[in-house]
Amino acid sequence: MSNFIRWTARLLGVAAIASAPQFVGAQEARLLAIRDDATRDFVRQFVEAARVRGTPTEPLVSRALEGVAFKADRKRIEQAMAALEKRLRRSRDLLGAKATADEVAAGADALAADVPAGMIQEMKKLAPQRQITVELGVLTELVAKGISPKVAAERIKELMARGATGAQLTELNAAVQQDVALGIKPVAALELRGRGVMSLLPPPASVNSAQRR
Amino acid sequence: MFPTLAVLRTSVTDFDPTLPGRAKHGDEQAFIKIVEFYYPRCLRFARNMLGSEQDAEEAVQDTFVRVHDSFPRFREDARFDPWLFRILANRCRTLMARNRRHRSVIEYGDVPQTATAEHEIGADWAEEVRVVLDTLPAEQREAFLLRHVEDLSYEDISAMTGAGLSALRMRVKRACDALCARLTDGSKDDRRIG
Amino acid sequence: MIEESDELIVRAARALSGMPPTKAGAVARVLMAVRANQARPLPFWKRAMRRFDETSVSAKAAGLLMAASLVIGFFARGTVGNARDSFAGGSELSGPALQSIANMPAESRPVPVAVAVELANAKTVAVVGDFNGWDPSVTPMQRVGKDGPWSATVLAKPGRHTYAFMVDGATLVADPRAPRAKSSDFDGDASVMMVRTP
Repeated sequence: MSNFIRWTARLLGVAAIASAPQFVGAQEARLLAIRDDATRDFVRQFVEAARVRGTPTEPLVSRALEGVAFKADRKRIEQAMAALEKRLRRSRDLLGAKATADEVAAGADALAADVPAGMIQEMKKLAPQRQITVELGVLTELVAKGISPKVAAERIKELMARGATGAQLTELNAAVQQDVALGIKPVAALELRGRGVMSLLPPPASVNSAQRR
Repeated sequence: MFPTLAVLRTSVTDFDPTLPGRAKHGDEQAFIKIVEFYYPRCLRFARNMLGSEQDAEEAVQDTFVRVHDSFPRFREDARFDPWLFRILANRCRTLMARNRRHRSVIEYGDVPQTATAEHEIGADWAEEVRVVLDTLPAEQREAFLLRHVEDLSYEDISAMTGAGLSALRMRVKRACDALCARLTDGSKDDRRIG
Repeated sequence: MIEESDELIVRAARALSGMPPTKAGAVARVLMAVRANQARPLPFWKRAMRRFDETSVSAKAAGLLMAASLVIGFFARGTVGNARDSFAGGSELSGPALQSIANMPAESRPVPVAVAVELANAKTVAVVGDFNGWDPSVTPMQRVGKDGPWSATVLAKPGRHTYAFMVDGATLVADPRAPRAKSSDFDGDASVMMVRTP
């Protein structure tokens, strides 16, 4: 039960950070984890410039802190942040001005995995009113498993078009990972599991009307 | 812990009633034999409840993991079937809630989709029954399957599900009424003749 | 009036009684899953939830459980101060902050995720990742028994996350049971977790 109280309390802490007025202060406080002054100054200025350009800053701060955790030198952190900022801007262009920071970050991850930009745009067109953070994350992971970006994106799009939820796609990814670990070829695993998810989804409207005649 | 997979036997004909007691006390061979014996039956129930082979396999696998975890708490004087099916039924319910199946769009005449999305006009009798079963509320479907397919007594089902005997009989009756009404209607449906 | 013994019911039940074919390797996969589960003890809250699978849960019992959770959650407000310290820069929690979580769509709401790892020789282990600013002070792990696995619960929004374990405050170690995060940005291995929408 202490675990429940602890995570409930942390959940409330996340809410505090998520509210805008405190967010800048929280970010600044986290930069104190960067012990090297020159690196910290660079990160601070870089993040501020990105904020002015309208690029989500949280992924940039997170990347800098990841570099610190991995004991990367300043040059590596700078290069990583610059590359990420470029992808974040591209991702924002593809996903639209209303895309959330998480969504834009997920799009940047997908671009880093060589998912064609057009595919990301087409995925967003299938869900213009909601976030596709989870869908983009699943796509990135499928590509990481060795499935070609085009094939993986086509399958995800197909499932999205039929109404697959983010939860179903997350389960699909987990099942594919498991299958690959058991020795099944990634593309075959995706095909098999994709059909499994498809079988749970309502049939396309055109099939229904043909049946009703 | 387990023997290498190559030496696993794949056929068990009669169920040794001492197996659950032995598995409870850590006999891994006994547990393996329980899995081999009950797997097809559990898969049948899960397949009938969930309508998807993939989900059924997942439910059954998860059930046996939990059975293995819970064996220390199994009372040797209790019957094994209701205990096992209680865990399995709960797993099926959890999967159903997780998958949020769109029951309302599955209309009579649509074959439940398994490996492919195509609809088969003129589906065989078992598939037709499954289609209608799929339209029932989950509680009725579960009660019908436990009673008429898995052959458990109302008392066993009551102990498993927590539902009272009269509530259970009502669920089964409603399931039977719906099956009779829709299967009988189906015999006149042009779509089935194809 | 339809009886349970009605011929149509009997025929229907018989049709559903056919045993589906058991795929090759199915039993072996079950046993592998059992083995994997044994190597990965669950945190307390998950073990408690599994106990319910063994018992029948009536609607009344479920309602009582939910009420108990709400009461505990209400009193858990008092522990918020400790959690705030972990999130540097957090301000006074207020109705609007709580409301903001409640108003978040499901895909944006952080979800508790249990994490565990076997690191027999470690003195301290923490989970670090993009969900907690790679800060080892946010999610220290607890050891199960003297030599048991380390476990913790993190809060992460639905989607893809990268993380690792910080061992003894100095070394980052990937999760051996999770996919690797392919990143050429830094030297070192991180892992990927996919968090699903609840």
